[in-house]
Amino acid sequence: MKKILSPWGLLAAGLLLYPIIFSDPFYRDIGAAFLLAAVSASAWNIVGGYAGQVSVGHSMFFGLGAYMPLLFYTLWGWSPIAGIPAGILLSIALALVIGMPTFRLRGHYFSMATIAVAELIRIFFGTWNLVGAAIGLQGPATARAWWDLTFRSELPYYYIFLAVLGILLYVTFAIEHRRFGFYLRAIKASERAARSLGVPVRQTKMKALALSAAFTSAAGSLYAIKTGFIDPDSGFGILVSVQMVIVAALGGAGTLFGPLVGALILVPLQTAANTWFGGGGSGLTFILYGGVIVLIARFEPGGLFELWHRLAPRRWRRARAA
Amino acid sequence: MLLEAKNVSKAFGSFEAVSGADLAVDEGEIIGLIGPNGAGKSTFFNCLAGDTLPTTGRIVFNGADVTRASPEAHARAGIGRTFQVPATFDDMTVIDNVMVGAFLRHLHRNDARDHARRIVDLTGLRPDQPARSLGTPGRKRLEIARVLATDPRLLLLDESLAGLTPTELRDAIALVRRIHEMGVTIVIVEHIMEVIMTLTKRVLVFNQGRVIASGTFEAVVKDEAVIEAYLGRGARRPPPYPPPQAGEGSSIFPPPHAGEG
Amino acid sequence: MVLVQVIVGGLLLGAIYALFSSGLTLIWGMMNFINFAHGEFVMLGMYVALLVVVWLGGGPALFSIAAALALFALGVAIYLSLIRHVIRGPMLAQILSSFGLALLLRYTAFWIFSANFVSLPQTSLAGTLNVGGIFLPIAQLVAGAVAITLTIALHLLLTRTTVGSRLLAVAEDRNAAMLMGIRPDRMQALAWGLSAGAAGVAGALLATAYPWSPSVGETFGLIAFVVVALGGFGSVLGSMYAGLIIGLIQAVSAFWLGAIYKDIVVYGLFVALLWLRPQGLMGKA
Repeated sequence: MKKILSPWGLLAAGLLLYPIIFSDPFYRDIGAAFLLAAVSASAWNIVGGYAGQVSVGHSMFFGLGAYMPLLFYTLWGWSPIAGIPAGILLSIALALVIGMPTFRLRGHYFSMATIAVAELIRIFFGTWNLVGAAIGLQGPATARAWWDLTFRSELPYYYIFLAVLGILLYVTFAIEHRRFGFYLRAIKASERAARSLGVPVRQTKMKALALSAAFTSAAGSLYAIKTGFIDPDSGFGILVSVQMVIVAALGGAGTLFGPLVGALILVPLQTAANTWFGGGGSGLTFILYGGVIVLIARFEPGGLFELWHRLAPRRWRRARAA
Repeated sequence: MLLEAKNVSKAFGSFEAVSGADLAVDEGEIIGLIGPNGAGKSTFFNCLAGDTLPTTGRIVFNGADVTRASPEAHARAGIGRTFQVPATFDDMTVIDNVMVGAFLRHLHRNDARDHARRIVDLTGLRPDQPARSLGTPGRKRLEIARVLATDPRLLLLDESLAGLTPTELRDAIALVRRIHEMGVTIVIVEHIMEVIMTLTKRVLVFNQGRVIASGTFEAVVKDEAVIEAYLGRGARRPPPYPPPQAGEGSSIFPPPHAGEG
Repeated sequence: MVLVQVIVGGLLLGAIYALFSSGLTLIWGMMNFINFAHGEFVMLGMYVALLVVVWLGGGPALFSIAAALALFALGVAIYLSLIRHVIRGPMLAQILSSFGLALLLRYTAFWIFSANFVSLPQTSLAGTLNVGGIFLPIAQLVAGAVAITLTIALHLLLTRTTVGSRLLAVAEDRNAAMLMGIRPDRMQALAWGLSAGAAGVAGALLATAYPWSPSVGETFGLIAFVVVALGGFGSVLGSMYAGLIIGLIQAVSAFWLGAIYKDIVVYGLFVALLWLRPQGLMGKA
């Protein structure tokens, strides 16, 4: 009984029961959006939060993951599921291409590269007819069988997303408690010191990026399968990258639940903003995002988790005063 | 011979920070590197640690050529180092810091943690204290603990005892002595003569990139060249940074630390 | 013949790239900080030019100076309120701060000016020069010439003046500079002002010859990255050469491959540079 009532137990129960309690499609949709944002941000978190390698172009992995399922369907009529592993493999390959040269240089090069490559791919896909150019691709309009994953209700999507989130959180948790996780945090804190202690900095960063890319790709695939549509902007656009960063950073980059907290706050906010401001809302949303990111960077880079730690009574402060 | 550096030189452009420095360290020794500021001892030290690539010369550790080896390779081979400005992992606790070092030889977390705990106890730090709440002396101590966890055969201490109060200094010297007794060979770069006097058996004096004297501390302080180096006699000091040279790339800004990310 | 025209056009545009990129490389060299919002400084310079024309009816000289001053002030303000605080902190905060700033500036511009492309009404630089069969819009010619001059001026400022040597001193060793009576904070604020000002002027120059919208900030920012990567970190002279080269490559790509591909070529070049020669043309290996 105690285990179920623990914070994690309650969280898990809450997430599991949410769409049943709130069965209106509107709420279920928000729930699915929340999960998707949490998955993307948690994936980014591995390389951006834990290892401190700030990617501002993570949409490249998301977009690849989003395009592959719909491409497999459009070209050969296959189930979109078949495209998921392809997206993951491509994303990992792309991660290697970007990581190998930039991880031996200073951190800024990596960040610059991520922006440039994401843009490059976005423009490129916008001109490539095979992938629908500017128009994009669509998924099955009606389900031919269950494996088309074209459901009319949000419910199945919600639980699929939840399962993926569960896996990702578990993986992150496992990393935190293993050598790999310690090495990631060491690299973030001081690469020079980490090197001097024998940490294989380049390989560790590479692994983190590859892992992050794989999960981000999965998130993209889920998105495309649910919405049934993808185009260069919704796949590779800067909004996608920004969203991942801000959700993770707001909650607390480098913490297990930071991305969840960030998603919990931002997804309902964004939905509300869209409802209030309508179409013009996207401009204001970005202004808001920009402002929030600047504030986080300036005052509390550790996000809400760090803020909470600072405001809550500190054991060490009391001990020193004693 | 555990560590042998032969004819090591490091040039930045046309400025020679280190010229033809030799060093031979037997296992179990404690050696001191001293010299005025800008004399090249830090650059030489960084060559030994793998942070800087020597322009010429060879460095052999335990029979293996480590002249061009990376800092990671140095650590794996058994050479550990501390930093002049402590580079502790401030977001992590003391024990986690030391565990990063321990993980070099221990793959599993529990083994690493046990090993780290023993070392933390040895150095008198509190395991669960956040590294960022430590003052500079605590951070220096943490750095020593952390590198100790990598089981080094040779420990390179970069002014790790600077800026301490007399009591702290005494404790630090005792710690270094304890580490030495555990079988670790030590090379210390230091300005504090008390440390050099009490700990080292042999001292190398640097000036203007060259080793100008070598021997016991007592012998070296009487050496004329050494006295002249410290007190000066119109001796020209090299500029701390190399002036930009034409054709050397037209960046007018100095390059950042190698590997700093 | 047409090719020559394309080449000249590319070089002239490249001169402006050189100018604003030298601002980016200055900050990078001096403070080891990559400003993701630099492209937005250029974009804002363009809008300052527009506002001066619309409100004051000013000419190119007036709005160029206005853009330089306005962005100089903005650069200093940004340094004092934001950069100064994050520069000593974790990398995450540094990158987030300039990235967030870019978003803030870009989408505020979208909100105020809308996403429509605008261009300046006819200025005194209208018309085209016919040089032996090559048609050069006067605006582009003047813009390019002024840009190169200003870039060289910036280089000279840094290398030959007292102010420049003070900036250098702070870049090299903050503490030593302080001991010499130089205030690092002021120098860094000045550097930010110069960097933004250079971008602003470049924007004003661009405005005389090309249409734009708030979206160009992102593109120019990336171009600045490529130029700086090619020219080498901290090297204003390197940015000059690299800017010209990039302008040239871009124009020729557009000519041979089509306009859509010109950006792909430039970004692709950037990725290739990262792989093959990250220290740039003039940096050390």
